[in-house]
Amino acid sequence: MSDVVVRTEGLVKDYGAVRALAGIDLVVERGEVFGFLGPNGAGKSTTIRLLLDLLRPTAGRVEVLGVAPRAGGAALRARLGYLPGELAMAGRQRAGDLLAHLARLRGGAGRERIAPLAARFGLDLERPIGALSKGNKQKVGVVQAFMHEPELLVLDEPSSGLDPLLQRELLDLVAETRQAGATVFMSSHVLSEVEDAADRVAIIRAGELVDVDDIVALRRRAGQRVQVRFAEAVAPEAFAGVTGLAELVVDGAELSCRLHGDPGPLLAALAAQPVSRLVVEDRELEDLFLDHYRLPPTGPQDGDDDR
Amino acid sequence: MTAEPLAVLTGALRLHRRALVLWAVALAAVTALYASFYPTMGTTAEMQGLVDSLPEGMITAFGWEDITSPAGYLSSTVYGLIAPALLLVHAVALGARLLAGQEEDGTLELEVSAPIGRRRLLAERTAALWLSSLALVAAVTATTLLLVVVLDLDLASGNVLAASSGLLLLVLAIGTIALATGAVTGRRAVALGLAAGVAVLAFVADALGPLADLPWLRTISPWSWYLAEEPLATGVDLAGLGSLAALTLIAAGIGLVAIGRRDLMV
Repeated sequence: MSDVVVRTEGLVKDYGAVRALAGIDLVVERGEVFGFLGPNGAGKSTTIRLLLDLLRPTAGRVEVLGVAPRAGGAALRARLGYLPGELAMAGRQRAGDLLAHLARLRGGAGRERIAPLAARFGLDLERPIGALSKGNKQKVGVVQAFMHEPELLVLDEPSSGLDPLLQRELLDLVAETRQAGATVFMSSHVLSEVEDAADRVAIIRAGELVDVDDIVALRRRAGQRVQVRFAEAVAPEAFAGVTGLAELVVDGAELSCRLHGDPGPLLAALAAQPVSRLVVEDRELEDLFLDHYRLPPTGPQDGDDDR
Repeated sequence: MTAEPLAVLTGALRLHRRALVLWAVALAAVTALYASFYPTMGTTAEMQGLVDSLPEGMITAFGWEDITSPAGYLSSTVYGLIAPALLLVHAVALGARLLAGQEEDGTLELEVSAPIGRRRLLAERTAALWLSSLALVAAVTATTLLLVVVLDLDLASGNVLAASSGLLLLVLAIGTIALATGAVTGRRAVALGLAAGVAVLAFVADALGPLADLPWLRTISPWSWYLAEEPLATGVDLAGLGSLAALTLIAAGIGLVAIGRRDLMV
């Protein structure tokens, strides 16, 4: 089954004179885990709030499960689970009371899953929310998002505040949810958070999508870091015409470069040389992510590469 | 599946119940304190003499013409000042918090992303505000009725209920203005300021009307709709109650229309 769960076309959102989203085109298909990556302030939460009908588009179209969020209304939101990026909850109630209240708002859906999910994440339902740590509050958010087994999960920075063990637990829960047929839309400003879980990733920067691709293609685009040591100094000209290389540096008996695509030409060039050591590793996807941050939308002088 | 009946209302009341009990106790105590001073203060010749010595304008402004009768005394103390002041503080604060305050601090987000329409979300919050105010006015009314019996005051229970009805509707009107302003603007400070401003202007207009010989000030003042006809002395003032009810419903309606139309900045 390959129908579309989220579709946006030319989605624009202005806050007064400030343009938060400048025309976003997204397609998320049923059953995939879709990572939505970008730095803070890029427009991730704005996009998500448009999906939830908390915000209304300035221009363009947005459809969730086949309907515009505003037209879909309560019936649409019954099929969604949402974990806000900045989770705020009144502090004097117990965690269990808030979750029971949220289940009542869903007509009782998910009530019976509160206790098992809380146990899985080690959340004490008897404690007042005000007394919970940030991580424990985030667990309350996770439980309420997953408890009613929604068709589409919208998770805004889901693992913020969770320790690595619980992040892993959350990713396991995401994977199980996907196995059960749900679609997951999760945002993050940290690539590693979605790298293992997501099938496809969109990268957003300053309100514009800079890339949408599957993780495999992103990895290919990111390329590989190649380092070679030779038995003796080699002539740089020997590698000048090799295709697929970037950032080539030949320094005496050392060579380093970035390899994109087919390694054949490089291997052929290397075969003619006295190679003593060869290291090829995938570049961290993080590097690609950073490339996109630095990539100015119009010209090379954007001025945001000073860090 | 959509929300269970009154799930928002019960949720809002559950969060507010502890504060509500404290408010009710405080209001009952203040009412009892003022009312029980009546036999020692209100009836004495000294009190009448003191009032007579005041400038006439001041007597008119504060409605002290009849301060030595139980109805006049309670009109100028409990029903005319302290109870509405406290009840309005409660209703305006709660009204501003229930939508705009919760929108600003983000606690509204989990509820608005639940399968419940925005109008119903606001309608049930409005009901929570009204029920809370009703409970507090009931505390004032019950305390007053009890003291009428205990102190053997010459005051008809029907008139107490008539005054309490006006008091309730005044508080509902101003509280609903706070809630609706929050629904229109999403800003708690604006909601607080506008509703408190309306309450103060209504009080000032009611006091100034007869002083400055500008009767229209009392025509447009919700405070006058509540108290100008002296309900404790004369009973139900249907025109006043009707005006207050209409103001309440108009404010509620504006809020319900506005909330469906705008961005929620949770």
